[in-house]
Amino acid sequence: MVELKNVSFRYGSEEGHEYGENSLSGVSISVREGEFVLLTGPSGCGKTTVLRLINGLIPHFYPGFLEGEVLIDGKAVGSQKLYDTALQVGTVFQNPRSQFYNVDTTGELAFGCENRGLPEQEIYRRIDDTVARLGIEALMDRNIFRLSDGEKQKIACAAVSVAGAGIILLDEPSANLDYEATLALRKLILEWRKEGKTIVAAEHRIAYLWDLIDRAVILRDGKIIRELIGEEKNALTPEALAGMGLRSTIQESPGSVGLPSVLNEDETLTLTDFHFCYPGSKTPVVNLPTLSLAAGEITAITGRNGAGKTSLLNCICGLEKRCNGVLKYRDRTYNRKARQKLCFMVMQDTGNQLFTESVLEEVLISLPKGTENEKEQAAGILRALDLDQYLDRHPQSLSGGQKQRLAIACALASGREIIMLDEPTSGLDHAHMLETAALLKQLKARGITILVVTHDSELIRACCTRQYTIE
Amino acid sequence: MAYSSAQAQEKRRGFLDPRTKLALVLVLAVFVMGGLGGGQLRQIKTVLSALPFLLLLAERQWSRFAKGLAILAIGYGLLLAMPYLPGVLNYIALMCGGILTRFVVTVVMGEYLVATTSVSEFISAMERLHMPQTITIPMSVMFRLFPTIGSEWRSIRRAMAMRGIHLGGVKGGQVLEYQLVPMMTSTVRIGEELSASALTRGLGAPVRRTNICRIGFRAQDFVLLAGCLFVIAVWILELGGVKLW
Repeated sequence: MVELKNVSFRYGSEEGHEYGENSLSGVSISVREGEFVLLTGPSGCGKTTVLRLINGLIPHFYPGFLEGEVLIDGKAVGSQKLYDTALQVGTVFQNPRSQFYNVDTTGELAFGCENRGLPEQEIYRRIDDTVARLGIEALMDRNIFRLSDGEKQKIACAAVSVAGAGIILLDEPSANLDYEATLALRKLILEWRKEGKTIVAAEHRIAYLWDLIDRAVILRDGKIIRELIGEEKNALTPEALAGMGLRSTIQESPGSVGLPSVLNEDETLTLTDFHFCYPGSKTPVVNLPTLSLAAGEITAITGRNGAGKTSLLNCICGLEKRCNGVLKYRDRTYNRKARQKLCFMVMQDTGNQLFTESVLEEVLISLPKGTENEKEQAAGILRALDLDQYLDRHPQSLSGGQKQRLAIACALASGREIIMLDEPTSGLDHAHMLETAALLKQLKARGITILVVTHDSELIRACCTRQYTIE
Repeated sequence: MAYSSAQAQEKRRGFLDPRTKLALVLVLAVFVMGGLGGGQLRQIKTVLSALPFLLLLAERQWSRFAKGLAILAIGYGLLLAMPYLPGVLNYIALMCGGILTRFVVTVVMGEYLVATTSVSEFISAMERLHMPQTITIPMSVMFRLFPTIGSEWRSIRRAMAMRGIHLGGVKGGQVLEYQLVPMMTSTVRIGEELSASALTRGLGAPVRRTNICRIGFRAQDFVLLAGCLFVIAVWILELGGVKLW
């Protein structure tokens, strides 16, 4: 049994400096053994903080100012060691790239058991058992750096299973997953339900587990605003959901939105001979003798994890030296080098493509050399993207959505005609997803061609006009 | 047939024990890179220098083998060309050639160690050497961070290419600074998330860790370790004025 009794928390430093406002104020939740509770609400509502309180990372890893009690089976989490809490609680984190300690998958599954010194034979037995139950034989003995995000998340879940804790915490585990991988995650959760595990999940994408949960706790600004049980949660209207800042509860495959890929009247851009394999591999990830996409439209590029969506964007952008395809657009042919000046990609890790020390400078270095009235031009673009109040901020200190807009501002400043986005709404709540959709429509109105790799059917419904599915 | 992790671990067992690899790195670093020892050790050093390349071949690391060999060839090429070069170039060739021929072999050995040792094998080896956790854990995190830093670095280089920032391009002089800003932010973040994840999985518990990987000395380990001891013995005898040949 997990109990939070009237808990308030504010992040701070170890020296006792507190910063910001309360992440949680007066939150009480109790989760019975074997119960499945969903924590949801808009970004910054405090759901991740609740999970960190349960697995002990607060206060042991993230210091701050804590009031109230957090108890597991009647014992305070804060006063026991993290490695003791680890025996009771297992956590699957949001970012599949930074939760692995090992480089090989099998080592990763064994890690938790090795840390507590279980005998090798017992660890082998548990791994084999989990592998068989989850059907992940094909993922064993692989290099984790070579797996797709969906595969990585499966390994993270399997690792929690092997460790065998009774309480499982899921921190936005589906943020980077496609439709199929999300369904696979759902099956895994069902498996845990059968075993009688206690599960607490923090999620924006609630559709895939809405019918599995016993209870939904909705948070906003660090407070519980509603708790829904049984029939109550099925009776919610889409308006009521949106009013609480929640995503849709209906699971929809991006493929079933059913937009056309290209219409006869569309102006097209044509890709020819786009082939790409990873170094040392002979199986092509991108394999397109020819492909036409609609210019001036918003095309959703969908397909399962590992189908090569991101690689396709990299190739179109001219970032893959090994891909020798050409792109025809408005009677001109663009080779790899030329495409680097025509296209722009907003990467999943937007922070990795912002280099300077202020928002304004970031746009200034993107303007072509010799532009007149540089500063006014840059400020104008930033105003159009609602960033003019942040001119002097450090780009790395912006929120995810703001970084996205800044990257797009740079693309506009450098006069790119094709803008691509790689999963722009992963981990975004309803309101932020709609903001991204509005932004894409604004770009389309400027005549820009937009390709967006996404598995977010709500985003596709909100703004996309064409769709291409990679088989 | 059902998956068996025990069999798979046996199959993926490396050619050498990680401890042997560590010993070889140390011996190469001291004698080949550090240049310890006098005339007697010359022939031995030649043999030692060939070792990392042979090991790379044994583990089928073709591209690392080719790269190391190419750089070594450049080093010797420079030394051979040196006498025929005029003035300053002569010194530059001597310096570069000297550095390359000295360093490459040991670097290749280090690369062999990192490339063929899993985190689990490394921790296991350190424990058998009775290293305290305070040393083992940070070192094993570094093992894990190398490939991560590599992939972040590449991802940032790509983003720069796309933004049109490269040497000789826009603001060429600031390339390094631009590269480091996102690099530091993302490395710090990944390091923090990695530690958080490892802690929730019981890393650092005061129990004797177990390891599912298969390590342990076999014939090839004994031969190579004996080789290491032999080199050290020759050196000590030489210090004492005893000449073996």
